[in-house]
Parts: sequence; structure tokens; C-alpha cells
Amino acid sequence: MKIKLTLAHLYPDNMNLYGDLGNIVTLEKRCSWRQIDLEIIKVNVGDSIDLEKVDLLFLGGGQDQGQKIIATDLLKRKEEIQKEIDRGLVALTICGGFQLFGQYFQTKTEKIPGIGVFDSYTVAGEKRLIGNVVVDISKSSQEWTPGFNHFTPKDKRATLVGFENHSGQTILGSKCKPLGYIKKGFGNRGDGGYEGGVYKNAFGTYLHGSLLPKNPWFADYLISLAYFRRYHDNIDLALLDDQIELEAHRAALTRAETAKTVSI
Amino acid sequence: MRILIANLIAKIARTASRLTKSGGGTTLPGLLAEKIAPNIITKLAGRLPQGTIIITGTNGKTTTAKMLAAILEASGLKVIYNSSGSNLSRGIASFLSLNSNLLGTKVNADIGIFEVDEATMPEITGKISPRLIIVTNLFRDQLDRYGELNKTAEIIGSAIDKSPQSTVLLNGDDPLVADLKKFSHKIRYFGIDEPLVSKSTGAIDSKICLHCGHELDYEYRYFGHLGRYQCPNCGYKKPDLDYKFTKLDLKVDESTALFKNNSEKEDFTIKTKLPGLYNLYNALAACAIASELGIKTFIIQTALEQVSAAFGRMETIAIGKKRLALLLVKNPTGFTQVIETLTYDKKPKNLFLILNDKFADGTDISWIWDAELEMINRLTKNVTVSGLRAEDMLLRLKYADFDLKQILLEKNIALALAAALEKTNDNEVLYVLPTYTAMLELRKILFNRGLVKGLVE
Repeated sequence: MKIKLTLAHLYPDNMNLYGDLGNIVTLEKRCSWRQIDLEIIKVNVGDSIDLEKVDLLFLGGGQDQGQKIIATDLLKRKEEIQKEIDRGLVALTICGGFQLFGQYFQTKTEKIPGIGVFDSYTVAGEKRLIGNVVVDISKSSQEWTPGFNHFTPKDKRATLVGFENHSGQTILGSKCKPLGYIKKGFGNRGDGGYEGGVYKNAFGTYLHGSLLPKNPWFADYLISLAYFRRYHDNIDLALLDDQIELEAHRAALTRAETAKTVSI
Repeated sequence: MRILIANLIAKIARTASRLTKSGGGTTLPGLLAEKIAPNIITKLAGRLPQGTIIITGTNGKTTTAKMLAAILEASGLKVIYNSSGSNLSRGIASFLSLNSNLLGTKVNADIGIFEVDEATMPEITGKISPRLIIVTNLFRDQLDRYGELNKTAEIIGSAIDKSPQSTVLLNGDDPLVADLKKFSHKIRYFGIDEPLVSKSTGAIDSKICLHCGHELDYEYRYFGHLGRYQCPNCGYKKPDLDYKFTKLDLKVDESTALFKNNSEKEDFTIKTKLPGLYNLYNALAACAIASELGIKTFIIQTALEQVSAAFGRMETIAIGKKRLALLLVKNPTGFTQVIETLTYDKKPKNLFLILNDKFADGTDISWIWDAELEMINRLTKNVTVSGLRAEDMLLRLKYADFDLKQILLEKNIALALAAALEKTNDNEVLYVLPTYTAMLELRKILFNRGLVKGLVE
């Protein structure tokens, strides 16, 4: 029987900054190259969706205005998303999406409530943090998905590479683990400390670039988790020829060392 | 006196940078001139008898300026306009200083056309009162430099606000641009008035009504968020157009459209050798400005037909029996438009993509994932990728289902050019799609081989 997984792309019309489509296309291709059927459902403001049937949730970044519009709609889905995350739903949230999956976002003028999947909150910073990022996840990834399922990434790589561009600073509480620690770049609080956030199978990060094409094992890790969510079993994903992906990963590591980062 | 010294220094700086071939000939003189005489832009721009035209917006500034200059020259005016790469304040100071007499009492032209970067707008309108400001469009471009799109609109709005006597021409098809009307009482709109279906399925940069925050409805889209839009909540919609194109006919190497000026009875067919819908927008912008200045439509028509591509905008260069066609790409909408134009005919193409990530290119290369390269994945014969982020471009092509056997990666641009030309047959075109600094680098290589005359236009 053909394996079938379902991805819900939240608010693709409003939250689509910085090459988020690259993440979707990567999940789509890496599934199809392995004969896994990945159905992609676009969920816009007001659309109804049964999250029990969804294995992977994606929410990208948006402009301030786009973010405000979807925040209200997202709140209506709060309980359902929380419930399904606790039941193993996989989620990848980037930048603005990551912020809204936290408790709240305090801008200069207002407090935008999030849905609290992550024990985190975000405050508007004085500066925009912009530049290439290298994240070390060799330690932090030991703590991902603790206790809930038995899957751990076998092919664990040491780094994630990407590009950050945010003014919000995201502080993690005790129930949210960092995705990793900054080797190069600013990170959640702009201090070169931790980056992103993880709760069960939900991941948040400021990395775009796009994130998944250049970090293919992480894309595969998400696919494996989504498989476990649907079929309650581990999967040995077929190995793919990732030479081009790894070359791009290496080139990004080198570029992060040489290119300047700025805060404006 | 200060102006005299500033002009003198500027001229010396230019001569020096030309002699040493150190580059920087377009900005260094202005940088120095403004240091010595901070009011130099105001003073010298004020000496232009027919005033100045300012062109801003994300895409199409350079080509619109070039088209407009051709029209104004055909009407008998002596025109000065700043060439690409110098659209920041110091570039404009250079350009004015180098085109004036030493005392600064006379500028050697009737009218000035200034191409101005969005972020530089408030500074420039603070210094000169332009006769006319045109905003071409607002797309996502180098977010790492400007922050977000709505912010860019606000910046341009504040610049317009500083110059109440200027006529402001807005692209009515762009909901972000059309909304700038609130900053001026002298508004005119230009746009396309025809139901066109875009092949593009990609992300729309801005779908949100700026008045009420509701999502806009589109009856049809031209590309990106340009189209016929209406807000179902508050009624904000595409305005009535003062200048418009209808009956569009698009081909890879030329396009035609019917130009309607609401204050004239007759319509005119406009023809341009520049390909693609985006170039028709540029032609329309130039037509609208020229009409606003009172230039007769038949002059516009003849002049536009003669205009060839601006620096790196489908400019063609002969190399032996082969030809290079340079198409600058800087943001996802522009990139997708260039790709879509190449699909107008179904001949398999030779493609050369060069991706750099220096400051002028935008240091964030995520945007290549929003460009719809999939449109052309079955229309290539061979592909060469180069530049500082060549590996990322190759990866993009892999996920866009290109035939990997056709693709060569060579990071060094000179070597990549040689390889790409080698694979291009005689009498064929090599389509080169570089980012900004990649284009400058490529141009230097071509210049050193005597294939192009100058490093800039």
C-alpha cells in the first residue's frame, strides 16, 4: 500500500515571505522521490480543516500586516492545534509563524496573543537582526521529542544553515527547548545564544534561506516524524543522492564565515 | 564659492578614478561634492529650466528612465539622467555636479530625469522639488536592506508628502502604490486595462487592503499583485486610469499595445523592441509621464520604437556568431517575469544563471525559491550556474525538476562564461540572468575583452 501523508500549509496567501515555498517544495519532492504521496492542503483565513487527518503543519513568516490578520484566525484554532500537537502532529513554524506559536508577541504598540504551543514569548527589539546563520544542534537534538515516540534522527548532522531577518526577540520558558545554539549569527534574543524552539514534534525557528533545501536531513526527520504520527511506526527512509544539497550546505557554512551580518 | 570647490573636487575625483580605473567614478565625486557643499543637489537641480522628473519603485526604474529620455530628446529637449548604479543621493550629486559648469550657475540640460531608490526618496524630495514623481510598482526586493514592503510604501509616502507641488503618477494596478494617493492632491493613474491571465501561480506579495486589513479580491492578475482588485469589505479598488494600455500583444522580442490618454481623443499603437509584460509597463510609465509633460503622442510613439534595452535588461551583445542576451534579475517577481518571457516561444534555450549575495544583490538569497523556475524546466538545452551562491542556484534547479545532466556549475564567472559560450551553438542566443553585482562583474569581463564599450551605459 502506498504511504500517504498530509501537509497543511497555514495561510500561504498571507504568510509567505522569504522563500517559504522552498520548504514546501522540498518536503513534496523528498516524499515523491520515495514514492510517498504527500497531499498539500492550503489553509487560508476562514477555511475549515480537520487536523486529525493532518500529519504535518507548516506556517511561514509574514509582514506585520499579514501577521495581524491571521493572528485572529489562528486563535480560533488554538485548542485544536494544541490537542493535535500533544498527539504527535508535526509542525514547522518559521519567523513570524514561530512567534505566533508562542504565548504572545509584544510589539511597541500592542500585545498580539499567540496560541501557546511553545512556552515562549516575543518582544519587539530595537534593531533588525539580519544575516547568515549557522546553528549547532548536536547537543540540543538529544532532547527533541523526549518520551513521546521512540524515533530519534539516526543520521544526525551537527548544523543547520540559513538566514535570519527579524526584529522580534523570542525568549523560551522551561517547557520549550531550543532548536540549537548559534555558531554564527544572532539567534532568538540577538545575543548569539540559543535559536528556535521545540515542543514535542513542533519546531520553531528564525531560519529561512530556505531552511529545508539546504538541510535535507532535517526535512527527512520531519517526514519520518509525520510517518510515525500517521502509522504509529518508525520508517527507514530510502537514502537519496544529496550531493547537491550538501554542497549548498557547505557553501552556506563558508559564506556565513565570510559575509558580514548587520543589524539596522 | 563652496559649489565651485565642490564641482572642482568632483571633476578631479572622476578624472582620478578614470585614470586609475579604480571604479567608483559614479559615486565618489558626489560623495565629496556633498561633503563640501551640502546644498549642491538643491542648488544645481534648481538650475534646470524644465525641472526634474523622479522615477522610483521596485522594478523598471532604469528602463523607464531610458525610454522617457528618448522621448524627451525626440521632442527637442536636452536631457540629463543618472545611469544605473548611482540612484542614491551621492550618485545624484555626482551626476549634477559633473553636468554643470564650474561656478554652478548653469546645468548643461533643459530637464533632469532622476532614478531614485525607494529608501533615498525622502532625502531627495527634501532637497529638490520635482515637477513630477512616478511610482512604478512595489515588490519584495532586498528585504534585508529595507525591511518590509509596507514600510517601503510609507517611506515613499513621506517623500511625496514633502513635495506638495509635484504631480504624482501612480501605478493604479498596484494596490500598494495606488494607495499613496493620500499623500498628494495632484494624482494621476496609469495602468493596464485588459483581462490577462498570468501563468504565474506563485505567491502574491501583498494581498491585503491597506485601509481595512481585509483580503483583496482579484478579478484578474497581470503579475505579482498587479491586476484588477477590489476590497470586499471597504470597497477600496483599482482606480479609474488616466493613462492606459489595452489590446496587448506580447512576443519574446517585441510587444505592442494601444495607448489611451483620457484627455486626448485618439488612441495610438505603441510598439517596443523590449520583451515581456514588465517592459510594456515601463513603456506605459514613460508614455504617461511624457503625456503629462504635454508631449504629443506621435512623438512618443516614434521615439519609443527606437529604444533598445537598458543596461542588462535584455541587452544583446554579439560574440562571434553567438549572441548574449543579458537579463538582470533582482527579486522573485522580476525573476519570474523574465522566465515567463523566455517561454513565449518554445525553442530550447541556452541559460546562464549567476547568483551573487553581496549587499547590492541582497544578502538573503531565499527569494530564488519564490521565483517560478519550474515554468522553463523543459525549455532548456543547457544550463550554466555561477556566482558566489552558485550551489544554491543549482539546488533550486534540482527542486524545480531541471534535467541535472544539462547543468554545469562553475563558481568563477569568467570560466563559467567561457563554458556556457562553448555549449552555445553558432547563431544561437545565450540568455544570461545575473544578479546586480554579478552583472557588473560580467560586464567587466566583456569590457576587458573589448566586447562592450563601457562599464556602464
